[in-house]
This record gives sequence, C-alpha cells and structure tokens, in this order.
Amino acid sequence: MTLWLTLIACGIVTYATRASFIALGDRMPLPPPVERALRYVAPAAFAAIAVPLVLGGDGFAEFSADIPRLVAASVAAAVIVKWKNMPLSLGLGMVALWLLHWAGL
Amino acid sequence: MTDFSFDRRAFVDGITTIFPLAIPGVPFGLVLGLIITTNDIDPWAGWSSSWLILAGASQLAALNLIADGASAAVIIVSVLLINSRHIMYSAALRPKFVGMPAKFRYLAPYFLIDQCFAVADTAPELEGSSLRYRMWHFLGSGAFLWTMWVISVAIGILVGDVVREEWSLSFAVPLLFTGLLALSVKNRPGLVAAIVAGSVAVVGRDLPQGSGLLLGIVLGVAAAGIAEGRLEKASAP
Repeated sequence: MTLWLTLIACGIVTYATRASFIALGDRMPLPPPVERALRYVAPAAFAAIAVPLVLGGDGFAEFSADIPRLVAASVAAAVIVKWKNMPLSLGLGMVALWLLHWAGL
Repeated sequence: MTDFSFDRRAFVDGITTIFPLAIPGVPFGLVLGLIITTNDIDPWAGWSSSWLILAGASQLAALNLIADGASAAVIIVSVLLINSRHIMYSAALRPKFVGMPAKFRYLAPYFLIDQCFAVADTAPELEGSSLRYRMWHFLGSGAFLWTMWVISVAIGILVGDVVREEWSLSFAVPLLFTGLLALSVKNRPGLVAAIVAGSVAVVGRDLPQGSGLLLGIVLGVAAAGIAEGRLEKASAP
C-alpha cells in the first residue's frame, strides 16, 4: 500500500513540474527577456542530458575507455547536421559503436 | 470560437514525427521491467510507475530506491528533483499552448516527456500551423510515446532478460539526446546554451539526484539570453 501511495505521489509531483507553466496559460506573463531566453531551453536541456550520458562511467577519469561512445555520438550529431534524419542518426551511431567495439576499442 | 475537433492528419503527423524518437525508449523500458522483477518489486506497482510517472530516468531512480528500502519521502523528493527539468519544458512551451482549450492545457502536461517536448518545440511542420493542428499533433505524439513506453516496461517484466549487454542498446538513449541536441542548436545563442549547460551538467554530475542537470539548463538558458542580447546589440547599426 505504501508502495502504491509513494508511486502515486511521484506521479503527482511529476505532473506538477510538467503542468506548472502550461496550465497557467497567459495569466502571469513573464518579462519579455525571460520569455526570449526560454526559446533556448531545448539546446540547454538536451546538452545537459546528452553530455554526461555520452561521457558515461566516471566521465573524464575514464576518458580513454569512452572513445567508441564519443565517436558514435559524433557520428550521430554529424548525421543530424548534414541530413536532419533521426532514424539514420541513431542507426549509424549504433553501427559506429558496434564497429569500434568489434575492433576491440 | 475556434474549432478544436479531432484532426486526423495532425494526430498521424505527431505519431510519424515521434516514431524514431520513441524507439530508443524500448530497450530502456525493457531494462526497467527487468529491474522490477529482479528486485522483487510488486510487478503491478512497478509497471504502473510507467503510466503514473511516465519519465524513465526518474522511474529508474525510484525503483532502485524502492529496492534499497528508502523512505517514501526520499523517493518522492528524488523523483521531483530529477523531473524538475520539466518545469523548464513547461515554461518554454507555454506561449505555444496559449489559446488552446483549458482541458487540453491540463491534459497535455501529463504527456510532456523529453521527446514530446522536442517534437512540440522543434518539429518543422508545426511552424505557422493552426492551434488545432498543434494540439492534435501533440496528442498524437504523446499517445504514441505513452503506448510504446507502457508496453516496453510490461514486456520487460514478462519476458525478462531480452536485452543483451554486449549489444550496448542502452547507448541508443545517449545517441537520441545527442541527435536532439544537434537538431535544437540553430544559432549562436543556442550553441552558447548547449556549451554552458553541457559543461555545468558534467561538472555538477555528482550533485544530489540530477540537480546538476537543472542547474545546467537554467544557466545555459540564462547565458543564451545574454548572448542573444549582446549579438543583437553588436549587429545593430
């Protein structure tokens, strides 16, 4: 029972974070400079999520062990910049990772 | 009164656009299911976390904490911290949802997973489109991601060890976010946002429960706002 209540509470706090501003609608507008800066949430958020994930493990301490991951992520990013194609980016990124692992890196 | 009746084309477009972004979530969901069974967590409760919380990283943390016998307060605060980035998503999307029915503005946040945010924020077909199109597009992407997620976690619970470690399928998630990062950097302030946020997140990775992540996003957005102001001033005649 405690487990269920805990999970429901987790669901409620998660919904609250997501609803916070959207549910507010156009009540309480933010100052224009803040609204403008908020257009950069996507690059900021995806960098903050992706970079630590790609570096993986202990990050810089394990830097040399992360070469296949760094190369695979670079391939994925390059495919997006060149062709804006997400399935191709994921596919070639994974293939790069497998090839480097297979080559013993 | 604007017409908000069901828009089939928008709904299907939403599904089509989110489809490739939903795939990397599948191995993640399978692993989550496996964690539920190997830690003897009640399978119904564990699976229900996927539609109650609907956020992979925080579910993973919650389930690990449950397995460790952590207190409810610790679990809830951890989930709140990990998911605090959604406040930024919500703030960024708010202007796009103004004018939509209140019912939708209360339902939509339930589906606001990272990938849905990416689609709602950057999908090219949404540029200059009607409110009705954008609303059904969002619901299409959200409903599809929701379905994929609850099914993958269920399969992970039922089938168990299907993801081979040596396939490194878990790396599909970092690759997905790398791709989304590359898609979302469209100009110099965007690049500033990415560099600042990425650096802060790496330096702050040991801060409790992902608060380094939120700090990175906030500082990255602030830096981009300042950079944009400077660039405008520099380019003014």
